[in-house]
Amino acid sequence: MSTVSERRGPTLLMAVPALVFFTVFALAPLAGVAVLSLMRWDGLGTPSWAGLANWPEVLGDPVTHEAIWLSVKVMILSWVVQTPFALLLGLLTARRGRYREVLGVLYFLPLLLSSAAIAIAFKALLDPNFGMSQALHIAALSQDWLGNPDLVLFVVVFVIAWQFIPFHTLLYQAGARQIPAVLYEAAAIDGAGPLRQFFSITLPQLRYTIITSSTLMLVGSLTYFDIVFVLTGGGPGNATRLLPLDMYLTGFSNNDMGRASTIAVLLVVVGVALSLGLSRLARFDRGSQQEGMG
Amino acid sequence: MMFRKQLTAMAAVAVTLVAAACGTSGPSASGGAATAWSLTGGDEQTFRSSFDSWNKAHPDAAITPTFFANDAYKQKIRTALGADQGPTLLYSWGGGTLKSWVDAGKVLDLSDEVAADPQLAGRFLPSVVKTGTVGDKTYALPNNAMQPVVLYYNKELFTRVGAEPPKTWDDLMALVAKFKGAGIAPFSLGGQSKWPMLMWLEYLVDRIGGPQVFADIAANKPDSWSHPAVLQANTMIQQLVEAGGFVNGFASIATDSNADLALLYTGKAAMYLMGSWAYPTLKTANAGFISDGKLGHTTFPAVANGKGDPANIVGNPANFWSISATASDAQKQAALSYLKDGVMNPQYVDTLLAGGAVPPVKGLESKISASPDGAYLSEIYKLAADAPSFQLSWDQALDPGQADALLTGLSQVFLKQITPQQFSDTMNKTIKP
Amino acid sequence: MTTTRTRPNIVGGLGGFLWLIVILVPVYYVVVTSLRSQAGFFDGNPLAPPANPTLDNYKLVLDNDFASYFANSVVVTLATVVVTVAVSLMAAYVVVRRTDRAAAITYKLFLLGLAIPLQAVIIPIYYMITRLRLYDTLLALILPSIAFAIPLTVVILANFLRDVPKELFDAMRVDGAGDWRTLWSLVLPVTKPAVVTVAIYDGLTVWNGFLFPLILTQSPEQRVLPLALWSFQGQFTVNIPAVLAAVVLSTVPVLVLYVLGRRHLASGMTAGFGK
Repeated sequence: MSTVSERRGPTLLMAVPALVFFTVFALAPLAGVAVLSLMRWDGLGTPSWAGLANWPEVLGDPVTHEAIWLSVKVMILSWVVQTPFALLLGLLTARRGRYREVLGVLYFLPLLLSSAAIAIAFKALLDPNFGMSQALHIAALSQDWLGNPDLVLFVVVFVIAWQFIPFHTLLYQAGARQIPAVLYEAAAIDGAGPLRQFFSITLPQLRYTIITSSTLMLVGSLTYFDIVFVLTGGGPGNATRLLPLDMYLTGFSNNDMGRASTIAVLLVVVGVALSLGLSRLARFDRGSQQEGMG
Repeated sequence: MMFRKQLTAMAAVAVTLVAAACGTSGPSASGGAATAWSLTGGDEQTFRSSFDSWNKAHPDAAITPTFFANDAYKQKIRTALGADQGPTLLYSWGGGTLKSWVDAGKVLDLSDEVAADPQLAGRFLPSVVKTGTVGDKTYALPNNAMQPVVLYYNKELFTRVGAEPPKTWDDLMALVAKFKGAGIAPFSLGGQSKWPMLMWLEYLVDRIGGPQVFADIAANKPDSWSHPAVLQANTMIQQLVEAGGFVNGFASIATDSNADLALLYTGKAAMYLMGSWAYPTLKTANAGFISDGKLGHTTFPAVANGKGDPANIVGNPANFWSISATASDAQKQAALSYLKDGVMNPQYVDTLLAGGAVPPVKGLESKISASPDGAYLSEIYKLAADAPSFQLSWDQALDPGQADALLTGLSQVFLKQITPQQFSDTMNKTIKP
Repeated sequence: MTTTRTRPNIVGGLGGFLWLIVILVPVYYVVVTSLRSQAGFFDGNPLAPPANPTLDNYKLVLDNDFASYFANSVVVTLATVVVTVAVSLMAAYVVVRRTDRAAAITYKLFLLGLAIPLQAVIIPIYYMITRLRLYDTLLALILPSIAFAIPLTVVILANFLRDVPKELFDAMRVDGAGDWRTLWSLVLPVTKPAVVTVAIYDGLTVWNGFLFPLILTQSPEQRVLPLALWSFQGQFTVNIPAVLAAVVLSTVPVLVLYVLGRRHLASGMTAGFGK
C-alpha cells in the first residue's frame, strides 16, 4: 500500500476532510435546493411534495421578472463602473513609492469593512433629513438618494462599487506589476505616447486579469444581498429588490420556501452558466491555461 | 506506522464532526429557564420592569426576555419557530400571524385555563380578547396597551402658521399647502418600513366605505380589492403624495429607527399618523416635547359623503402573549403563572399608565384620570372603548404571504409606480378562495 | 524585476485623487458623527466637526455587550480559518501531487464549487442546521463557512503548489519522509505566503459575513459583529451616532491587523487570482 501511494503521490485520504465539509455543507445543500424547489414549505411545518407547481408560479410572477431585470441592470452597471476605475487605480498603485504606502492603506479601506457597516454608514450619510444634504446646500447633492425609485438603483451600484473597487484594484495592480518594463522602454524608443502604450501594451498584457476580474464581478453581482438588505431592504417599492433579495423575502418574509428555492435554483443556473461561459472564453483565449476562475 | 498516523488524523476530523453534531445539547428550546421575545420601543419599559420584578419574586419560574426591533422580530420569530427553538412566550398581534402559528401547532391552546380561571381573560375588554382567539379557542392573551392609530401633530408649528387640526380630508389637503408654503413638511412617514403607509389606506377605506369593505377582503371574497372605496382611497393617497404631503425622502425613512418620530419633535414635520405606541416612545426619546405641551393629537379626518363612522378606528387592539407548544413543562408552567399573576397586575397597569399607554382592562376610568398623562390617556381609552369598529391592522389580519404583497403594492402606490387600478388587480390575484 | 513607466500618469493621478475623496468622505462622516451627542446630531451641520465631541456613544456601545459580540466573531473566524486552511492544504497537496483520475475529479469539484453562490443554498442550509439541532449556535456559522471557504482556498494553494519543483518532493521521499512529514516540513513552509494570504482573505470574508448569522442565529449570546451592527440599529433607534460608533469599533481591530499585514494581502492576492 505504501509503495503505491508513494509512487502516485500522497494518499487520497488527505483530501477527504475537505471533501466531506464541502459535500455536506455545500454540495448537499445544492441538491437540497433543487429538491425544495419541487416542494411546498412554509418554514414552520414539514415540506410537502408539489411537483413542478412552483416553477410556473415563479416564472410567471412579475415581481420575480422585475428582480431578474434589476439584477441584470446591476450586473452591467457594476461592470461598467468598476472596471475602468479598478484598472486605472491598479495601474496607479502598481508603481512603488513611499507616499503610495500611506495611500494604499486608505485606498483599500473598504475591503476591510463589512457590508453591514458600509450600508449603515451610507444610509446615515444619504438620509435626506439628517445626512449630507443638510451640510452641503447644493441641489445636485441633496437628492432623495434612497427614496427616489429612479435614483436608488444607481446609488446601490455606487455603494457596491465603493465596496468592491479596491478588491479589483488589487487584481489589476498585481497584473500590472507583471508587465515587463522592457515593453514600455521599447515602445518609448519607438516614440509611442502614453495613450498608445496603454492601448498597445497595457491592455493586451492585462487581458487575463480583465477576464478574471470581470468574471468575479459578473458572477459576484448575483450575490449582492447583505448590502442591499441593510441599505434599502429592497425598496422603495420593489426598486432594489434584486434576485437574491427576492429569494430571501419570498422565503423568510413571505414564508414560501418552495418558491424561494425555485428562485435560488435560477440563481445557481445563471451563476454557473456565466462562470463556465467566461472561463471557456478565457481558455479559448489562452490555449491551455488550466484554472477557470469562477 | 504511517497507517496509524493517518488513522489519528482521520479520528481527529471525526471527533470534530461528532462534536459538531453534539452541539445539540447546547441551547435547545426544551431546556433552561423560560424565555420571552418582545419588541424595543413602545411598552418596552413596562415589559422590562415586569420581568424584573417577576423574576425577583419567583426565582424558580424566572423568564428571560429578549427585545427585537419590529421588522427583525417578524423575520426572526419565523425562523426560530421553524427550528423549534422559539421562546416560551411569543409576542404577536393576533390575527393572521397567530393563525399561522396555530395551524402549524406551534402554540398552546389556552381555552381550558381561560375556562378554569374567569379572571384570566375576563378582566380585559371583550373586543380585545377576541383578537387572541382562532375559531372558538383562545391562543393568546393581551400583554400591553390598546393602540389605536391617532393623528399626532406639533402644536408649536400649527400656532406658527396659524392652523387648526384637520376635521375633514379637505381641511387636510388645505393644510398641506399651508405648511409647504412655510417650508415645513406636512406629514412625517416611515415609508421604508412600509406598514406605516398602510394606516392611510386602512383609515381612508374605512371612512369612505365603512368596515364591511375590509371584512370582505379578509373573508377572501373574489375581487374584493377592487371595491370602489379601495380605488378611491388609493387615488386620494396619490393626490396627497402629488401635493407634497409627505416629508422629503419618506420612502427611505425606517420606522424601526424612530427617524419618522424624530421629524415630528425636531419640528421638521407638522403631523404624524401613527399608532398610540408612539406616545410612550416619545416619552422616552424626548419627554420635554410632551411636558412643554407641544404634542397635539386628533382622530383621522372624515371624508365627505363617506359611509364610515368617523369614530371608527384602526390599529392594534393590543399585543399578545402566546405560549410555545414545544417548550418544556417547566417553561410552560412558568409562562402560565406569569400570564396569571405577572401580566396586568396592578403594578403592571400602573407602569403602563405611567409610560403613557392604556391597557385594555375593564373599569380603569378613575385610575387613568388620576395618572400624570390622565387627560390624554382618558381620551385614548374612550376612543378605543367607544369605537363602533376597531379594525386590526391589515398586515396582521391577513395571511402573511398576502400581507407582503399588500405592503409592497401599497408602497408602489405611494411612489406612483402603479395606479390604484393596478394595485387592486394585483391584490385580487392574491385571493385564494 | 517589474517596474512600470516612470512618466507621470495624469489620468491615473486624477483618478486616484478622486477615489481618495470618495473613500474619505463617508469614513470622515462616520467618525465625526460617532463623536456627536444626540442633540448635536439633530441640529448641527453633519459634515462639520462636532462642537462638543463626546465619547459617550462609545461607552454606550461597550456597555451593550459589544465585547461579547466581538469575542463571538473572533471564535467563529479563528475556527473557520484554522480548519479551512488545514484541510485545504491537505487537499491541495493531493490534487497537485497525484496524477490519477480521482485527484483530477476532486480538483474539478472544487473549481465547480467556486461558482456556487452561498445565497442560493441558504434555505437548505437553514433546514439542515435546524434538523441537526445546531440552530443558534456558533457551530452553525462555522461549519457552512468552512465549506464555502474551501474551494477558493484549495484552488489558490494548489496553484501555488504547482510551481514547487518536483525535485523537492523527490528529495523528501529519498529521505524516507511519509505524506504527513512532507506536508508538514515541505508543503507548509513553501506555501506559507499563500497560506497567510488565503487565511487573511478567508478571515475577512467570515469576519464580515452577514447572511449566515442572520439566518442561522438569533440570540444575543450567539451574535457576531455584523449582525450586532444591524441589531444596534433597532436598539439605539434614532441614536445614529451610537450606531456609527459601533461601526467604528467593529472596524478598528481589522484595520490594525491590516496595517500590520497588508503586504501579505496584496502580494498573495496575486498568487490566487492573477496569472
